Amino acid sequence: MFLELAKRNLQRAKVRSLLAVVGILIGVMAVSAIGIFGESLKAAVAQNFEEVANELIVSPNFQEGYKYLEEKDINRIKKLPNVAEAIAIKSDSLLIETKKKKSYTVVYAMDEKDVEEMFEAEKGSIRLKSSCVVGKRLAEFAEIRVNSKITIGGREFRVAAILEDTGARFDINPNSAVILSPEDFEKVSDVGYTLLIVKADSLEKVDDVKNEIEEKINSRDEKVVVFDLKIILEGIDEAFSQINIFLMAIASVSLLVAGVSILNIMLMSTIERTKEIGIMRAIGAYRSTILKIFLMEALILGLIGSGIGSVLSVVGGYLIDLAILQDASYVFQLSTLLYITLGFCVGVFVSVVSGLYPAWKASRLEPIEALRYE
Amino acid sequence: MKVVELRNVYKIYRTEYYEVRALDGISMDVEDGEFVVIMGPSGSGKSTLLNLIGCLDKPSEGEVLINGVETSNLNDNQLTELRRDTIGFIFQTYNLILTLTALENVELPMIFRGLGREEREERAKELLRSVGLEKEMNRKPNEMSGGQQQRVAIARALANNPKILLCDEPTGNLDTKSGEQVMEIIRHQNEELGVTVILVTHDPSLAKYADRVIRLRDGKIESVEHVS
Repeated sequence: MFLELAKRNLQRAKVRSLLAVVGILIGVMAVSAIGIFGESLKAAVAQNFEEVANELIVSPNFQEGYKYLEEKDINRIKKLPNVAEAIAIKSDSLLIETKKKKSYTVVYAMDEKDVEEMFEAEKGSIRLKSSCVVGKRLAEFAEIRVNSKITIGGREFRVAAILEDTGARFDINPNSAVILSPEDFEKVSDVGYTLLIVKADSLEKVDDVKNEIEEKINSRDEKVVVFDLKIILEGIDEAFSQINIFLMAIASVSLLVAGVSILNIMLMSTIERTKEIGIMRAIGAYRSTILKIFLMEALILGLIGSGIGSVLSVVGGYLIDLAILQDASYVFQLSTLLYITLGFCVGVFVSVVSGLYPAWKASRLEPIEALRYE
Repeated sequence: MKVVELRNVYKIYRTEYYEVRALDGISMDVEDGEFVVIMGPSGSGKSTLLNLIGCLDKPSEGEVLINGVETSNLNDNQLTELRRDTIGFIFQTYNLILTLTALENVELPMIFRGLGREEREERAKELLRSVGLEKEMNRKPNEMSGGQQQRVAIARALANNPKILLCDEPTGNLDTKSGEQVMEIIRHQNEELGVTVILVTHDPSLAKYADRVIRLRDGKIESVEHVS
């Protein structure tokens, strides 16, 4: 009956109730839709990093006096469980001479198949037998073309390919470098292995592999330093979570405004219904009963507004994703459900809290004063 | 047995500039089953007196006892329960809840008392039938005449079987015929069911229903007249 009474009171001022519902609806929609978008953005960025996220970079521990990785350690790492692949790289800074330029440049030693797997040729094709491949930026700087000849450490090599710009990488960056086969590299430099890129079977196994390396190689001396790229992924995740919270805080201002509008509407309703409150008090309603009736009205407004808002937030999130990320598939993930639930709960909570003061005010009315009110 | 006792009751309204003594040292008793009419000109304190007896207001000084219980010792919830279970109110302007039907209005005091749906619906229907409104049960107040609304208000006042019926100008807004119908229902409650009635009115013709007529003037009892 109290529910019925609350419902009828809301129906009595239909436009006003509708406006309150719209206010809550917009607030909930803003919070949830932005939450969904933020989560989608995070997922999209994380996806780009996922292919390198299962990589670990093992380098010699310079601080402990290790300049190079030992071959036996590399072989031990390759045999560790959950290691899908390990690419050992040598690198040295060598003098490069072309017809027009002369400069010290980083030279990597890598197997041809690893280069093919990791990078794409923009011009020419990746072949390392008595030839080399050159990074795009170096090629531009030193005006190197495919099939042109360059001198590396006093030996001449033919340029087989110029690589595509790889952008920022966390393992090796060949943009301003030259890559030689290990055999050719040995002819121009005598340095040892400086880097080992280890790929774990899956993202979940990264920690296991890291622990295994630490255990097997660093048991006596801290010979190597292991850096896992998963940390970067976690950093991205955290940064985007913070951005998301910030965006949602901005969106929740609209929910706050909606709360104030409910407060206003309910206060008006309290004043309008002063006499009715007096009648109910006169015929036996406790103060708590009046409080209950008014809170129920706020709850109904909150439930309807938040319910519709939640449904519309999926549509909103879908449209924002489509407009900004050009991909709405991220909307259909578990976190979306979380943000819908969050938006709904916050909407209902704001409504009820906004209704608290008017409800309390109504319940504090003295019956005789309320009955006299015209 | 005394159901209402007033001991030297004052109700004084004070503002910064003036003081109004709405009730000025009233002492009176009402016996169980009695029909008391309180008369007096406007501003004589009739309604204030009724509000004090109905526990809607508190005296500035003095004691108001209902069923032997001193009301100033009761907290808000206890006063609410006293109003709900012992007292029935009939107002001049009916004071029905406009969003509820006649049946729902009558059910309301029983809801506040915690009665189950079936029981209260049955009783509300019975009460509405007893005041001749069986066909108007599902109408809302603004779809009914003044007389019909007042009869709904009487049915509501009787919902929880009150011991005392407090009527504030119950016929004040009604035509003669409706007024008589309403008074007949109230008289029936008093004579047949033993409900104590305290009725405040301007209308001298209502004195005929009373066992006792108390006349007030300027917040004091001017005269008490027993009607045989």
